[in-house]
Amino acid sequence: MTSNMFALLCFVSFALPIPLLVWLDRPRKKQGQG
Amino acid sequence: MYAGHFAAGLAIKARVPQAPTAALLVGVTLLDLLFAPFVLLGIERIHETPGRAPGFSLDYIDWSHSLLMSLVWAAVFSAFFLKRGRLVVLTIAFAVFSHFLLDLLMHPGDLALWPGSAAHLGFGIWLWQPSGWWWFELGFIALCSAYYLVRARRLQSFGGRGLWVCAVVVALHVVNSPWLSPAM
Repeated sequence: MTSNMFALLCFVSFALPIPLLVWLDRPRKKQGQG
Repeated sequence: MYAGHFAAGLAIKARVPQAPTAALLVGVTLLDLLFAPFVLLGIERIHETPGRAPGFSLDYIDWSHSLLMSLVWAAVFSAFFLKRGRLVVLTIAFAVFSHFLLDLLMHPGDLALWPGSAAHLGFGIWLWQPSGWWWFELGFIALCSAYYLVRARRLQSFGGRGLWVCAVVVALHVVNSPWLSPAM
């Protein structure tokens, strides 16, 4: 693996999980809310 | 450290729930998000060390990871959230700086005091514990996850799928293990 490939892999591995974690972290809707 | 940074972000979220989760998670990973384009642009340098943890040598990462620049990036990034109030700004700044503190434990003396500084910091758990670092980080993730889950259950304002959040972080840590990582 070249240093550029490693850098790209590093960026993707840090950036990709963030939207998923943010989505999973959202509070559940309480009963009665739309 | 990899997944441990995400775990730190979750613990910080649990401590200050009014801080936006996205900002905290970008914050705790910001130094590595900067590191990648800096390497691609030739501003920072690394080289491979196959078979030796963590699989690469960080030869020059002063602009993304030095002590001074960590503080600068913390100040710059948190400034985008000034309208959210002092507590949120300080929390996001701490999230960014937490990256330096956690890397300080793992890195083998490659964290400069400032760009170009001759003095470098790092306790080097990666080197003196070639596979033990993984268990150390797992313990840290477990502690952060437990705190996050307890607070999420109590406050109900975040962590709607808290167990899944923690499962994703643990899964990332497993993928990054010395036994599975492609860098090794």
